[in-house]
Amino acid sequence: MNLPCKAAAVSALVVLGATFALAADTHKQTFNIAPSGTMNVINSAGSVVLRPATGRQASVSYTAFSDKVEADCSSTPDGRRVEVRTHALAGQKPTPEESRVDYEIAVPAGVSVNISTSTASITIENLSGDFSLSSDTGQITVNGVSNSFVHVHSLTAPVTLNNLSGVHAEIMSTSGAVQMTSVTGPKVNVSTTGGDISYTGNFSGGGTYSLITHNGAISVSLPETSSVDLSARSISGSVENDFPLRDKSHTTFIPTPGRSFAGTSHTGASWVELQSFSGRIRVKKQ
Amino acid sequence: MNCQEFQETLPQIVLESGGNAEEEAHLRSCPACAILVRDLRYIADQAKLLLPMHDPSPRVWSNIERSLRSEGLIREGRMSLMGHITSTPLMTFPSQSKSWTPLGWAITLAAVIVSAVMLVNYPSVSPVSQGTLPGPAVSSFEGADEQLVAQQPTAVRSAYEDSLKKVNTYIAEAKRAVDEDPSDQAAQQHLMGAYDQKAMLYEMGTVRSLQ
Repeated sequence: MNLPCKAAAVSALVVLGATFALAADTHKQTFNIAPSGTMNVINSAGSVVLRPATGRQASVSYTAFSDKVEADCSSTPDGRRVEVRTHALAGQKPTPEESRVDYEIAVPAGVSVNISTSTASITIENLSGDFSLSSDTGQITVNGVSNSFVHVHSLTAPVTLNNLSGVHAEIMSTSGAVQMTSVTGPKVNVSTTGGDISYTGNFSGGGTYSLITHNGAISVSLPETSSVDLSARSISGSVENDFPLRDKSHTTFIPTPGRSFAGTSHTGASWVELQSFSGRIRVKKQ
Repeated sequence: MNCQEFQETLPQIVLESGGNAEEEAHLRSCPACAILVRDLRYIADQAKLLLPMHDPSPRVWSNIERSLRSEGLIREGRMSLMGHITSTPLMTFPSQSKSWTPLGWAITLAAVIVSAVMLVNYPSVSPVSQGTLPGPAVSSFEGADEQLVAQQPTAVRSAYEDSLKKVNTYIAEAKRAVDEDPSDQAAQQHLMGAYDQKAMLYEMGTVRSLQ
């Protein structure tokens, strides 16, 4: 490579590096957080990822993609509340792209976390605690959470829950699909207006499971070993079942072929209610 | 007492301690009004939880003021940026609620406005008048809905608009099903669920606009 070419390459690298440095500004802060403390996260666009911390400290790493927004992170002196908030700087009107901030947050188990986003995705991995998640359109994913309260509000945001055990889950979505795999606990309530609901798992734990939709589809796939007291009912949608159930002697409604059914398998340990207004309900054996 | 007379006293019933004996008797005998009161109390309770740490933008106040005027809840004067109504409102508030912040009152008022708009489209149904089926209980898009959508960032405005239309359709269809068979528990459950969905949209939209 001759000298002018080398100079051009070096210049290009310098410019690229400078551009990247301006475009992605990453910071990290740590906070002492009380065992039953609360963390509130507000981030319009970008992403929020929550993972377990190794010690008792919470850490917040964030990357801003423009200098028109900044992240404020603060905590109360007693560590009972940590606030993480993205906001536009005074006089700035960032575009949606310029509003993006990506957060990587680590919290100890047992902390209560409230996350509110507009378009930013939310991901929670392998934690236990009390989680309240709200997003207009950002994907919400919860993996490997146990013995926790999980509250989710979504407009069109898809909601994915994988490998949750011992959870009290309240999921409400208008149009976002709710997909659950191996989700069990004392109480699991899911309601949507137009979003599809799918559940794959065994409804174990003797819990109460309620999946309700207006005109979304409900799809349930469970192994034959599942012990459930299951009812499915649609006002004007179709209801199909190929899971072996024993008829119940007493039901709160008169089963109508194609519209509703009810039955038990094994000891009927968990109570499962599937309801749609006009959406299709399908229950099948794995 | 019929449903219309009952619904005229709703602000007192929802925001204060409750109604008189006659209103309580109507509430016990009329499932439609009972559901309505339940939903309005839920909205009012949620609104109380929305007391933020920071004041919202002046645009929020002006939108609330505009709504109050259009609903006839305030006559003259103006609402300051801090949320104090400088004229005498038609509605009076209970003295025991002095601990509320001005913003708390304003949000509750906004919730009442939403409820009032819902009421306009909420036909009076008494158990003895089930012979005819009413039209759609809620139009696909309402004034308060438009206001909520207008307060959202451009990036999610269409999501709110679509969601509100879907939820309004859900409410209308569930309401019709309840009207067809008031003893249908599944239909009642859907109606309550549909109102919960709408409350969720307003909660999310209001919080988002304050952020």
